[in-house]
Amino acid sequence: MSVNDKDQGAPIRPGSPLARALGDYTPPPLPPGFAERVLAAAESRPAPLPGLRRPARGGRGWRMGRRIAIGVASIGALATAAAATGLLGRLDLPLPSAGTVWASLSGTAVAAPAPTPSVPRPAPVAPAAPATVAIAGPIDTPEELAEAFRRVDAVRKGRRDERSQLIDQRIASEIERRRAAGLPVPTAEQEARLRQRIEEARTRREQFLDERVKMRREELERRVESGEALTRETILRPLREDSGTPEPRERIERLRRMPPEERRALIEEWRQRRAGRLGGTAPGSAPAPATPAQTDLPPTGTVGAEPAVPPQE
Amino acid sequence: MTAGNEPPLRAPHVVGPDDEAVLAARLAARDPAALRDVIMRHAGALHRTAFRMTGDGHEAEDIVQEACLRLWDQAPAIAARHPVGSRAADTLRLGGWLRRVVTNLAIDRLRRARRLSDGAVPDREDDAPRADALIEADERDGLARRLVLGLPERQRAAIVLTYYEDLSNAEAAEAMKMNIKAFESLLHRARAALRQAFAAQGGTP
Repeated sequence: MSVNDKDQGAPIRPGSPLARALGDYTPPPLPPGFAERVLAAAESRPAPLPGLRRPARGGRGWRMGRRIAIGVASIGALATAAAATGLLGRLDLPLPSAGTVWASLSGTAVAAPAPTPSVPRPAPVAPAAPATVAIAGPIDTPEELAEAFRRVDAVRKGRRDERSQLIDQRIASEIERRRAAGLPVPTAEQEARLRQRIEEARTRREQFLDERVKMRREELERRVESGEALTRETILRPLREDSGTPEPRERIERLRRMPPEERRALIEEWRQRRAGRLGGTAPGSAPAPATPAQTDLPPTGTVGAEPAVPPQE
Repeated sequence: MTAGNEPPLRAPHVVGPDDEAVLAARLAARDPAALRDVIMRHAGALHRTAFRMTGDGHEAEDIVQEACLRLWDQAPAIAARHPVGSRAADTLRLGGWLRRVVTNLAIDRLRRARRLSDGAVPDREDDAPRADALIEADERDGLARRLVLGLPERQRAAIVLTYYEDLSNAEAAEAMKMNIKAFESLLHRARAALRQAFAAQGGTP
């Protein structure tokens, strides 16, 4: 800075030409109502906004430390959860136990035991099925006879289940038909009563048939013990022969060949006989219609019992 | 160099040690009389400063009003930082606070006007025909206006605060929120620029 520069920046001396020139710069007076104007503006001014939220306690270092601590804790929790759920094992990540780590640090590590070869587990032994007896030729031993009875029982059980399903299906379709036709539909109690009656009828019939089958089997066993050889027809046919009824196909063919009047009379006779049979089986119940599928379920649930099917043995 | 012309605003007052803190507490309590008291004490000097910075009377009034309203808004925080009876209360100077606000507002407005006008600060001299007396006064004041308004904003503020308002360098530096060395450098450059401009007008500094 030169001497001339110092003079240029020196204070302005009072009375100098520059000071006289600057002294002419006079401001105007404030207007008379200035104070009132400011006061009015202050009173109509909206309330100032609240101060900024106080910054978090502590400085930047503590904020960073807190974030780091939260991150470490989160990662630790995730790793613990992964180890607890076995995820690390599934990913084939070795996870040493605390004892292993300590042993490696303290030098007391012991040799790991040799891995035992994995032995495949023996497959669970299926329950021994009863030895099946082959029936070769005529049935002439008690074992072959027992095997024949077992096969017959299996067929009977299958038919019994099939009939139960058929009954359920018919009841359901009948209820659906009634609902579609706008007819009264049996309530749950009525349906339960109906099923109970069907079940009771079935039980009675089963008992009756079981007694007959038992007597028949005892007779067959006696015959086998006496040395007689039984054939398949000997076991299956007699009941049907006892009943004296021809095969359905033959029966239908015979009906077709009859004159109409005779056929109508026979059908009527058959209906009466069937009604009498059903009446004797379930006293008090109304005669059932010919086809169970066409049977309307009465509100009280009085429906014919299970159609009498002759035993198929 | 003071030019207070409004009698109510020149009411004499005595500032005690806690006087400013008490005034701030009254402002914080939303006492209009306290704001009137502040206006009476400081508005004249603030208006002079603002006018010499901007060269516009209406702009100067707006700046002073804005400064007073900011004090009204900030009073609760100021009073909280300077409770009555505390040591901090002795250091509170509402006049200095207002002067700093006025200086900054004036500089901001000058910069904004320069940015919007894309050139030097416009000369707001009224060219309309006036009475002879007003024309003569205007011609007489014209040189000083041109000299002061021809300075950059910060140099202008330094001249106004130290020459016209008789503030010490330290007080002016505080008003401009500068350290003392930087302010003295700024003031030196402002005086030099002023002298050069005066010499360019044909004057003898």
